[in-house]
Amino acid sequence: MKISFLLHNAYAIGGTITTTFNLAGALAERHDVEIVSVLRSRERPPLTLDPRVRLRPLVDLREEQDHPAHREPARVFPAAEGRHREYSRLTDERIAAHLAGTDAEVVIGTRPGLNVHLARQAPDRVLRVGQEHLTWDHHSRRLRTVLRRAYRDLDLITTVTDADARAYRRGTWLPGVRVEALPNSVPDPELPPAGGDSRLIVAAGRLVPMKDYDTLIRAFAHVAAAHPDWRLRIYGRGEERDRLRALIQRLGLSDHAFLMGAAVPMESEWVKASIATASSTFEPFGMTIVEAMRCGLPVVSTDCAHGPREIIQDGVDGRLVPVGDPDAFGAALLDLVRDDERRRTMGKSALANARRYAPEAVVARAERLLAHALAAKRAGRRPPGEPGSGRRRLTAAKQSAHDLAYTAAASAVRTVRGWRR
Amino acid sequence: MNSVIRVTCVADADGRLTFGLPLPAPDSAHLLLKARPRKGVPDPAARRLQLEDAGDGRALAVLEPLPVLEEGRWDAFLVREPDAEPQQLTSGPLDLRVLVDGARADRPSPVAVRIPYRALDGFLAVRAWLRPAHAEAGPIEVGDKATAVTARLHGTELGEDAVVRLRGRRSREERTVSPSVDADGRGFRFTVDHADLTGGGVRYWDVHVLPTPDAAPVRVGRVLDDVADRKHSFVYAAAPHGSRLVRPYYTVDNDLSFEVTDPG
Repeated sequence: MKISFLLHNAYAIGGTITTTFNLAGALAERHDVEIVSVLRSRERPPLTLDPRVRLRPLVDLREEQDHPAHREPARVFPAAEGRHREYSRLTDERIAAHLAGTDAEVVIGTRPGLNVHLARQAPDRVLRVGQEHLTWDHHSRRLRTVLRRAYRDLDLITTVTDADARAYRRGTWLPGVRVEALPNSVPDPELPPAGGDSRLIVAAGRLVPMKDYDTLIRAFAHVAAAHPDWRLRIYGRGEERDRLRALIQRLGLSDHAFLMGAAVPMESEWVKASIATASSTFEPFGMTIVEAMRCGLPVVSTDCAHGPREIIQDGVDGRLVPVGDPDAFGAALLDLVRDDERRRTMGKSALANARRYAPEAVVARAERLLAHALAAKRAGRRPPGEPGSGRRRLTAAKQSAHDLAYTAAASAVRTVRGWRR
Repeated sequence: MNSVIRVTCVADADGRLTFGLPLPAPDSAHLLLKARPRKGVPDPAARRLQLEDAGDGRALAVLEPLPVLEEGRWDAFLVREPDAEPQQLTSGPLDLRVLVDGARADRPSPVAVRIPYRALDGFLAVRAWLRPAHAEAGPIEVGDKATAVTARLHGTELGEDAVVRLRGRRSREERTVSPSVDADGRGFRFTVDHADLTGGGVRYWDVHVLPTPDAAPVRVGRVLDDVADRKHSFVYAAAPHGSRLVRPYYTVDNDLSFEVTDPG
């Protein structure tokens, strides 16, 4: 297959870029794969891309920042999308030209605005795949309204969790569009797994409110009080650093809990630890949980939507505790701190269970999903029961009726809410 | 232009470092460790390490515990042929797990430490310390009026009359305090009154211990684990004293000092 990814900016650092590079690289083993980056902000991508994957930018910001068409607002890229201001008439045109002329059999969008481009501009001969790297519930009401309409012209939507796939099926009416979970993959670690003997707990992620490191630090205070030879290291940078450091000092943990700054690759740090943690209030997937498990660590995580509970089997390869509850989190940590045997056993289970996120496992699932969707599209089973050429007009009529009804309902809800306030 | 070469590094408990390069046939290639040039040192030291085929597509180079590395930062390069231009190596995963608890064992003199790390530019470097003796700082408790430091001496022993000396940087001012010394002559603990540091115009105070009053001063620092740069991660609270703030901190060389500042 010839597969073409459409990415916001491959020349930056972020979770979507990492996971797109991982998937593209793994697919390149058997397929012809390219990544088309709408924007280019520097000479080279800072993250490592498999040399078999071709990378091509559409708008080079270093030269075209002042292009007249780049100063006019985008019309195809939806205004309700978070990155709308970075898009323009220029990106609308370049993406349209790229999609019209593509010789790929499969195009894959990697964020809602780009999925809308695929739905509206990719030719019918191409399999149009929209990837959701956040979650349906995370989007604004305005954006969801846009997506409900546009996504009907996709062939396949992939979410990173089953829970989010269910949320999509519940929250949308997309006849003939398959919605399936395709988790992120984590490359095979290069270092031998953690031994489980150290007295070190490690967490990683940006220092932002969503990660709720307050809860982790307060939970760890229970551990430090009972077992003063244990340490906590938090890797990552972010706006919360000074506030978290003040909390550490206030709790008297300056020699026990440390904000270490960023570490690349995290693998070097995971293997030193014997327990990993994730304390988020919301986690669309939970990449660091999988990374830590692939290094042989049991993970104590909050049971937040959506990722952790699909990755961790509570009591087998980690623990799930209520969100924002330092006492429960601390008790779960203490259980593992006090029981060397259990910690090591859970670490071994984590290592085995996380293999389902190895690139070859995830890419095999991606290939199956793409092959099924392609076969269904070629057989004209879209929408089901209406084979052949007339489908677009028919569905278009159905769609607009549905949209009208939906818009009316949505505005009624808005009115009622506004009235109550 | 040459492509990026990622090197891995494994540290073992007795100080040996094993570097791994994705180089199936090392032939006459070798790994070069070059001391980073410092002011007043015209000809930086270098170590050449033989690369050997590991049989799995990698080539390995071993830096044995002896001879010790001079103190400083060392950068890693690949030299493909005897006269080829050295190519700097990018840091891949580092396996430093055995270093984490390195402060638990007593070290003989000279105290030689090596911590591989990924420099800010992504290249692999090795941070080395080499001192006749070393005082490893442990817990530091910042109180309202004083800061208490627990430490352990490596490479020599403390007498009953040991002295902790704080020396004003770029100043002749000194303060001394008497530590309480453990029975083993290694562990010690001392308390610094903030009032002693805030009187004059000294901003930075460097902490040393003199095992006996006429012995050479031994710098107090924290280098016996896996953390190559702790200035920004091992951070302590600042205690207000009058209109000034007193704060213990680790320098860029992981040595312990106190800083006195005027807030605002």
